[in-house]
Amino acid sequence: MNTDRFDLGGGEPIITLRDVAKSYWREALEIPVLQGIDLEIPVGAYIALMGPSGSGKTTLLNLVAGIDRPTGGSLEVCGHELNSLDDDQLAAWRNAHVGFIFQNYNLVPVLNAFENVELPLLLTGAGRGERRDRVEEALALVNLTDRMGNYPRQLSGGQEQRVAIARAIVTDPDLLVADEPTGALDAKNAEEVLALMERLNSEFQKTIVMVTHDPKAAHHAKHQIHLEKGVLDKAVEVNR
Amino acid sequence: MRWLALIWKSLMRSKRRTLLIVGSLILSVFTVAVLQSLLTTLNAVTNNPNSSNRLVVRHKSGLTQMLPRSYEAYLRQQSEVETVCALQWFGGYYQDPRNFFANFASDETTLFQTFREEFGAAGISEAQIKDYLRDGAGCIVGESLAKKNGWKVGDVVPLTGTIFPINPRLTIRLIYKSPKPSDENVLHFHYKVLEEGVPRMKGLVGSFWVRTHRPEDIPRFIERVDRHYANSAYETLTETENAFNLAFVKMLGNIGAIIQGITAAVVVAILIVTGNTMATAIRERTTEIAVFRAMGFSASRVLGLLLFEGVLLVGVGGCLGVLVANLAAGAVRASLGMAMPFFADFAILPDTVLACLAGAMAIGLLATFIPAYAATRRPITEGLRAVG
Ligand SMILES: Nc1ncnc2c1ncn2[C@@H]1O[C@H](COP(=O)(O)OP(=O)(O)OP(=O)(O)O)[C@@H](O)[C@H]1O
Ligand SMILES: [Mg+2]
Repeated sequence: MNTDRFDLGGGEPIITLRDVAKSYWREALEIPVLQGIDLEIPVGAYIALMGPSGSGKTTLLNLVAGIDRPTGGSLEVCGHELNSLDDDQLAAWRNAHVGFIFQNYNLVPVLNAFENVELPLLLTGAGRGERRDRVEEALALVNLTDRMGNYPRQLSGGQEQRVAIARAIVTDPDLLVADEPTGALDAKNAEEVLALMERLNSEFQKTIVMVTHDPKAAHHAKHQIHLEKGVLDKAVEVNR
Repeated sequence: MRWLALIWKSLMRSKRRTLLIVGSLILSVFTVAVLQSLLTTLNAVTNNPNSSNRLVVRHKSGLTQMLPRSYEAYLRQQSEVETVCALQWFGGYYQDPRNFFANFASDETTLFQTFREEFGAAGISEAQIKDYLRDGAGCIVGESLAKKNGWKVGDVVPLTGTIFPINPRLTIRLIYKSPKPSDENVLHFHYKVLEEGVPRMKGLVGSFWVRTHRPEDIPRFIERVDRHYANSAYETLTETENAFNLAFVKMLGNIGAIIQGITAAVVVAILIVTGNTMATAIRERTTEIAVFRAMGFSASRVLGLLLFEGVLLVGVGGCLGVLVANLAAGAVRASLGMAMPFFADFAILPDTVLACLAGAMAIGLLATFIPAYAATRRPITEGLRAVG
């Protein structure tokens, strides 16, 4: 246990990882991907998770976001011990606490921007009117009020990613996870998306964990954590 | 957006594919519904509850051979017998040979009693029957036949004979309603018209339709009559009306087995087509399913959405198929109902509709469940990694 190597600022931890490990098995052969991960991330942090390809960044992010399960250790995220939740409870937990931003946006092609953003709200029991208000608010935040009726194929890549961000925040989650959110964007659109995420962190106190290869993107985070062959290497405070 | 809108939009993802599935479902449900209804209709012909205590006496050597009318007296004497009606298929047409319908020369004095269910006895008055009995050149017609030709009581119907060389001009004295449409596509006229107009028919008739008091009487009666006339110049073949009709249906071969065989083939084919299409459609959505689940949709909710989609798809196809089958049944009634009386009763019955819809639903559920279940059991991380 050596969490003090990763000083990510004070405050209540929103994510606590204790000796987390993840392995895959190819027949009898164990392939360890993550080993002995101890980490505390405080509320309001903005972390860039970096490291070479294959080092386990996506795997770690998926564990934190509750879409994958560790083969060892435990995770406490947003006040819940994830190992103790069954699959359906974990799904409900994700809906309430986690917003996802993907590299490929992953919007539903047959739904327009408004409907894509509304999707996670269908699970919350919010009424029609409340859903509309919240979708409009989220789309206003990403500056796409005028593209509400557009389908993904009628949007630019940058616009698609902003719709995806609106979808991620519409349920007002505590935690945003983003895997290479600018990986498919040109420099200008990437800047826009990164500025938006920075604002979500600073203005709306969203805790953000972002996986990225791109040093420029990582520079927008408050802290950078490096993974090397499945082990946490170092944490760096970013001077923005 | 509501759940239904979400499901609908997902269905319309690939309009071509959706149309293809719906189209093939319409076709197969239509085929199965029509074939099964044909079977039901044919079975009904040989299983007519009205005729349970009726039987037919005819010449042993076939339908074209005649029996002496004098046999009637012997038949009447039997204690089991309520009435006997001499009846001969006339086979005439009105105006155009294609305009064909069932017409008989029959004994007007016992016709209404022997076939009282068919003539919907309650609907016709004694006075109307008397009108017919009084007019030797009168005839009676069923309502749907009258409607089709625009006939009214008092109109004269010239019939052109095809089997017999006479063209009787008959005055309609009575138009009757019948519980079964096929029984309304019929015309009867006095037996005397045939007997007096055609010398070779003097004292002869094709068949006697006998009504017994009770169905239980029939076997004994059959046995006695045929024994009585054995080795005579005119040997008889006596059988129940249902058995008599069965002889007609049998001419069509073992149609039941053929229909069930085709039905099974259609079901298997549509199951393969639907299953394959569903599997492809769901595989293409691997990433999307993973995204839904990441957002908090539980595996069972996603499964439910996919199943609903599948069932809606086949439901729409099934309903349209049944609808088309019903339209087709109407067309069959209109076009063939006159020529082959049992087709006048051809209809897609509620039982067939339900069976077809239930079958389509089962196919939809099965075809969707297998790929959908597999897709929702896949780890989310794998789904996100898949390039969709
Ligand atoms: N389902 C799996 N089965 C076996 N090995 C896997 C599986 N998923 C990931 N791995 C392995 O785990 C390791 C870490 O993968 P991960 O996707 O977390 O890397 P990453 O750091 O995100 O890489 P990149 O920067 O290329 O996205 C890789 O070596 C990968 O091959
Ligand atoms: Mg990765």
